[in-house]
Amino acid sequence: MVQTRNLTFQYKKKDAMFRFPDISLEKQEHLLILGASGIGKTTLLHLLAGVLQPSSGIIFINEEDVTTLHQRKLDQFRGQNIGLVFQKKHAITSLNVLENLQARLYCSKKPVNQNKIDALLSQLDLLQHKTSKINALSEGQLQRLGIALAVIHQPQLILADEPTSSLDDKNCKKVIELLIKQAAQTEASLIVITHDHRIKSYFQNTITL
Amino acid sequence: MNIWKISIQNIKTKPLYTFLSICILALSITLLLGIEQLKHSFKNQIETNLGKIDLVIGAKGSPLQLVLASVLHLDNPTGNISYSEAKKIGKNPRIKSVVPISYGDNYKGFRIVGTTNDFQKIYQAELETGRHVEKSMEVVLGATVAKTLNIKEGDTFLSSHGLVENSVDVHADELTVVGILKPTQKVIDRLIVTNLESVWDVHHHEEEVDENQTEHHHHHYETAEEEKEITSLLVTFKSPRALLTFPIKINESTNMLAALPKYELHKLYEYTSVGFQTISWIAYLILVMSCLTIFISLYKMVKERAFDLAILRTYGASNFQLIKMVLYEGVLIAFLAFALGFLLVKIGLNYVVDFIASKSQRNILQELPFQEVLHLGGLVLLMVIFSATLALYPIIKMNISTILSHEK
Repeated sequence: MVQTRNLTFQYKKKDAMFRFPDISLEKQEHLLILGASGIGKTTLLHLLAGVLQPSSGIIFINEEDVTTLHQRKLDQFRGQNIGLVFQKKHAITSLNVLENLQARLYCSKKPVNQNKIDALLSQLDLLQHKTSKINALSEGQLQRLGIALAVIHQPQLILADEPTSSLDDKNCKKVIELLIKQAAQTEASLIVITHDHRIKSYFQNTITL
Repeated sequence: MNIWKISIQNIKTKPLYTFLSICILALSITLLLGIEQLKHSFKNQIETNLGKIDLVIGAKGSPLQLVLASVLHLDNPTGNISYSEAKKIGKNPRIKSVVPISYGDNYKGFRIVGTTNDFQKIYQAELETGRHVEKSMEVVLGATVAKTLNIKEGDTFLSSHGLVENSVDVHADELTVVGILKPTQKVIDRLIVTNLESVWDVHHHEEEVDENQTEHHHHHYETAEEEKEITSLLVTFKSPRALLTFPIKINESTNMLAALPKYELHKLYEYTSVGFQTISWIAYLILVMSCLTIFISLYKMVKERAFDLAILRTYGASNFQLIKMVLYEGVLIAFLAFALGFLLVKIGLNYVVDFIASKSQRNILQELPFQEVLHLGGLVLLMVIFSATLALYPIIKMNISTILSHEK
């Protein structure tokens, strides 16, 4: 599902070079990448998401070498195959919950299935907030909406950047369990990068940077 | 869900900004459209009213005033000239036709013009109902006069002295309406047309009455034909060559004034166009300012919503789709502003003209040709797209990774 080889990245010529260990992940396998701040965790995630281009090395996702894809192709590939979960901001503020999900499907060029949206929202305990503005949601609700937005288009790979770091223990547990459950439902691989050791026990594969 | 819907939602989340952008843009559009329409109406009014009049001959004074009074029927005449002398000029072989006009009275602000039946031919005015003037004290009404005053064929009225409405100086003789003219969109629409005799008769009686009352019996009373006077003579030449020499001859060898309406009105148009131009420039300036407002609003949106835009990219949206989203917002604002501006001009200009112009000048307003509206609409759209494109620059330079990693 995910394979990387000899990945390196440099922001500017003079900056220190990040070197990343090779990753090899089978379909539906999950991975936790641990590391302190500033070590290049987010950089690795962005490389995997095709948001950044590596200085050297190759990335295979779903048997496609994403480092060779052109901008537009890459946008499409990312939109259809990858779901991203962020730490704090998750959705477009001018749209409500439902509109965000619809916009997400529109951008991924996937059909809008109202029943599927409702089912997902009810699983994430968000159905009653379907028409709520983003500003009106609590942090926990926002995090759950972030998960919904990352899985609604049935991606092959879910990438989560510090999804639990700003949450209390109770919400942390809830969010990581939901992420794993949703990944299983969509038959996707899940890669979480974090410095949050609370969620270590949920993963069999762990890499420490 | 599509890009349009996202744009509309973006606009809805900043109602005040949108409202202000629309208002300021609409204001400049209103001014530009209004100025264009006034300019167009003014030019049109001058050109159509000129008709086939090559030369106006009247009493010495300001040539522009003479033209304004005799051609546009706006100003006071410069004075009177002798009818017998005027008739002599009419016999010149280079002249195709002459139409004498004589002023003196009005009815409720509409001027009563004493003239011959040839007057209507200058304006190609045809009768809607009734017949032409055949004898003294009969009148034919212009379309606007009949409509505004609601007078019909067969009605009678009393005229008042002078060219301004008043109830103090009312003549005793009743005028009878014998016909009403079809609308022409020319100056004749707001005139009351009668023959020369009516004007002379009305004033002749009064002079007699005056003289009896003041007992100035010693005053020598000349025969009617000798002292008959008219206000001016509208002349059409056989060939335009006469335009060069004929006016000079009149001005030098008689005590009358010959004025070229084309030349005088062109001069007037030049004078007034300075004013029009100034307002036009102000309107263009406001247009630039409003585009700046739109630029700032969109640029702010692009900057503040950088994360939203980046997130759309992670959803698979292309740069081009994001550009479309911002452009649509600009175009939507431009469209709403143009609609509002157009509406304001429609309502506002009629109101303004009603307010500043007297009753007799209301039909001065001409519809702006569609091409002009389109021209201006295109300009506004171009300006808005230009400002939106400037605002788009950060999108093109956008580094999604940097934006996403700074979300915390």
